[in-house]
Amino acid sequence: MHRTLITAALVAIALTGQPASAEQLYWGIQAEQLEWRGGEGSETFAWDTDAFVGTDELKVVWRSEAEYATGPNSFETLENQVRLQVPVSDFFDAVAGVRYDSPDEGPHRTYGVLGLHGLAKQWFEVDADLFLSEYPSARFEVEYEGLITNRIIFTPSIELDVPLADDEATSRAAFGPKLEIGGRLSYDLLDRAVAPYIGVHWERTFGESGRLVQAEGEDNDVVSLVVGFRLMF
Amino acid sequence: MSSSNILGAVLGASLSFALLTSGPALAAGSHGGGHGMHDKKIGGPGDPAKVSRTIEITMHDNFYEPESLNIKEGETIRFVIRNAGEFVHEFNIATAAMHEAHRPEMMMMVEHGVLEPDRINHEAAKAMQASMGHGMHDEANSVLLEPSKSGEIIWTFPENAELEFACNVPGHYETGMHGTVKLSR
Amino acid sequence: MTFGLLRRALLLGAGLAASLSGAVTAGEYSLTVDPVTVDTGAFTRTGIGYNGATPGPVLRFEEGEDVTIKVTNNLSEPTSIHWHGLILPFEQDGVPGISYDGIAPGQTFTYRFPIVQSGTYWFHSHTGFQEPDGAYGAIVIEPKKREPFRYDREYVVQLTDAHPHSGDRIMRNLKMMPDYYNRQQRTLFDFLRDTGEKGFDAALSDRAAWGDMRMMPTDIEDLQGFTPLMNGKSSAQNWTGLFTPGERIRLRFINSSAMTYFDIRIPGLKMTVVQADGNNVLPVPVDEFRIAVAETYDILVQPKEDTPFAIFAESMGRTSSVRGTLATAEGQKGDIPDLRKPPLLTMADMGMAHEGMDHGAMAMAGGTHTMPDGSTMKGMDHSTMAMTGGTHTMPDGSAMKGMDHSAHGMMPAADPFYAPGSGLTPTAANGGKFLSYDDLRAQKPLYPHRDATREIELRLTGNMERYIWSINGIKYADAEPIRLQYGERVRFKFVNETMMTHPMHLHGMWSILDTGKGKWNPVKHVVSVAPGTTVFMETEVDAPGQWAFHCHLSYHADSGMFRKVIVEGGPKAKAASLTSVKGG
Repeated sequence: MHRTLITAALVAIALTGQPASAEQLYWGIQAEQLEWRGGEGSETFAWDTDAFVGTDELKVVWRSEAEYATGPNSFETLENQVRLQVPVSDFFDAVAGVRYDSPDEGPHRTYGVLGLHGLAKQWFEVDADLFLSEYPSARFEVEYEGLITNRIIFTPSIELDVPLADDEATSRAAFGPKLEIGGRLSYDLLDRAVAPYIGVHWERTFGESGRLVQAEGEDNDVVSLVVGFRLMF
Repeated sequence: MSSSNILGAVLGASLSFALLTSGPALAAGSHGGGHGMHDKKIGGPGDPAKVSRTIEITMHDNFYEPESLNIKEGETIRFVIRNAGEFVHEFNIATAAMHEAHRPEMMMMVEHGVLEPDRINHEAAKAMQASMGHGMHDEANSVLLEPSKSGEIIWTFPENAELEFACNVPGHYETGMHGTVKLSR
Repeated sequence: MTFGLLRRALLLGAGLAASLSGAVTAGEYSLTVDPVTVDTGAFTRTGIGYNGATPGPVLRFEEGEDVTIKVTNNLSEPTSIHWHGLILPFEQDGVPGISYDGIAPGQTFTYRFPIVQSGTYWFHSHTGFQEPDGAYGAIVIEPKKREPFRYDREYVVQLTDAHPHSGDRIMRNLKMMPDYYNRQQRTLFDFLRDTGEKGFDAALSDRAAWGDMRMMPTDIEDLQGFTPLMNGKSSAQNWTGLFTPGERIRLRFINSSAMTYFDIRIPGLKMTVVQADGNNVLPVPVDEFRIAVAETYDILVQPKEDTPFAIFAESMGRTSSVRGTLATAEGQKGDIPDLRKPPLLTMADMGMAHEGMDHGAMAMAGGTHTMPDGSTMKGMDHSTMAMTGGTHTMPDGSAMKGMDHSAHGMMPAADPFYAPGSGLTPTAANGGKFLSYDDLRAQKPLYPHRDATREIELRLTGNMERYIWSINGIKYADAEPIRLQYGERVRFKFVNETMMTHPMHLHGMWSILDTGKGKWNPVKHVVSVAPGTTVFMETEVDAPGQWAFHCHLSYHADSGMFRKVIVEGGPKAKAASLTSVKGG
């Protein structure tokens, strides 16, 4: 399925390109988070990465987010998305794509993705996505890069994930949101390519979802110390 | 020598000089000695009867031909100056320091539109004089010529002086439009 | 000049065979395009050069000569050479996709064209990012007639901004993150300092005003992290030009940078600008001048003391500098001055002036700090002068000018080629005269002055966050060519709606910059348009064919601030001559 999407995207690129001067293709890989999380008895390895290829008019983004628990050696979460991004304003792209969840425990799920991605006023990086399936959910992410110096950067982030329907198999209940708040202090070590960081990550699941999580024997309120690298290439 | 040439000569040497010496705020006495064009150390206007020889000077863009002069101390020379270039040029006998002091005034004439690259704007000159209240002064050590015009200076050289002939139209001196006067006994 | 031939033979050396037989009317030259190593002292990388070196050789032509230049591509990718500023048949202009197909790997292309002008120019690849990677060299054309200035010695001083990253990598990084290379962004400490200087509310509201636009007042150099080079040498490597005290030296400055404007001065020496973009201008004595990307300025200096003088080029954003030395002996080094404080863009540079915001309004909106130091100082300076009755003890012409204006009760005219209140308006380090476009007057107009037959508005536009640059909001890939008719005189109106400065370059035809001087308007090949300003230039459409027209900042041109210009019509004779010179 991913392959089909990518092919469709490339065809679209070919169609929009002008014959006189072909659109240039750009690509890039960014890992906003690539980190070890530790605290309260659990240790996980987590990442949040984007890889893209495309033009000014259309980008194909492969987004991957995962939490890998080092104790049981299993993926607690593993999300992969293929997202097509098309500019809709100076600062925002519309997003359409597919998300596929394949954690080691629990059912695998496929969603359609509709969203907005861009830069809001005052330099807030925003992702707002609607995940469509029989278990729909909405997710809102905001990130801000605060420059302590031009190389030491403090990055607070908030992610709010709201299930819109009950999905007990994944311990999620309608309107029982999961909130993640992080603060990461990084240093641009090699250019902007490699920036090691330390920080704090707090996850809290609220409402009925929170109770479902607890029923699984897990904590619905976790604070972790994080150590990792931000990568960009 | 046409009347416009004379006016040109007068303007070149004196209008700018007048700008410096007139006006209550400006006079202030600081120019008391340095800019007097009849200063002994550069010599003075010569008596036509005492002219020993005539030297022809051709002004090009932006250089003189010849580029240096050999003159006897006390000698009176008739300079016949022709502007063979495409721009307005000056032939001015003075010390290097006097030339340097003269250049800002020439710049001011450009600012006021009196001195255009290839002509002297007499209308603007009148307007400038009217607005700034300067009178006309006649200076004999210099002539300012439009392209293809000619002029004349009769000059008696002093003893023991370091003199240059130069064009102080903005940028011309700096780009090489000056020559040395070698005075010998 | 009798030594012209000898000099050419010496200078062109290795790869260039100068034709010395008979009258100098047909010179043959050859260039190879080679992979080379760029060593800036700060870093070493592979790059592209000519005849095995970057910068390439200085090509010395004579006005009236018919040149034949064989260019052999030793790269594994296509290349091209554009003769920047030269007036020639369009097939010889060297822009792939517009003039010709380019030069394939292993191929030799023979350029043939007459030299119809004189002055200082340069050449560079017009393919990909080969020029930023080192593919550039200088062109010096001796005039037929004696020039309107004298000099004893001359040097080409070619500036560039060598970067450790390849051009492709830079473009990709800018697309991924437009402020990738901006290491002068305002930080927490800047905020604390601003708070200390003008209070928390003002500091915060200023941050908010910029954040609201999602723009940065420090966004002056898109591309930082480069090492400026002078004739291929960094400050430490110290390019040296020898002189004997008292000599008049002509320096032919060429800015071959991909992205960087430089402010140039020689502390201790007054410079007289005699040429801009290869054309003589009425000489202007200055203390400092700014050279836009792809411009050339020829200046004369006359050092009288037996002491080294630094030729100091400071980038406009003050992120970097390069020093060379005018020395009386090898090994001497001119003192390197400290970098001045980086400028900050103001609301005026954001084009707010267009919306009728005056300085007062600016102060309310964004805080008074947005007033550039320079203009404030200048204003104070002149008011002081006015109060003291305009003393004429000031030694230089600009002071006289100031006095003059204050006498008329007017504020001194700031450089009209910057938005009023712009943070970019330059001032000379020694407080003296900084060259303005307004000071440039053609020494000899190339064309009779006449009214333009029509006006074409070109809004310089861009989306900084996406790193897309465009003209009239349309990037090159999506744009129709600009069609001009042979024989018309077109007035181009550049309206800069971005916060960057754009050096606009029209190929094949002269750009007559409108400085309000009528027939004395200077004749250029690059017209720099500062943020928040509108600049006019006129072009006598006298060159049939198709031409490139673009911002000369490499990454702006590549990302869309580029147009093809098609000149329709024209005499049959010219068309025939075009056919005859084609080939090679």
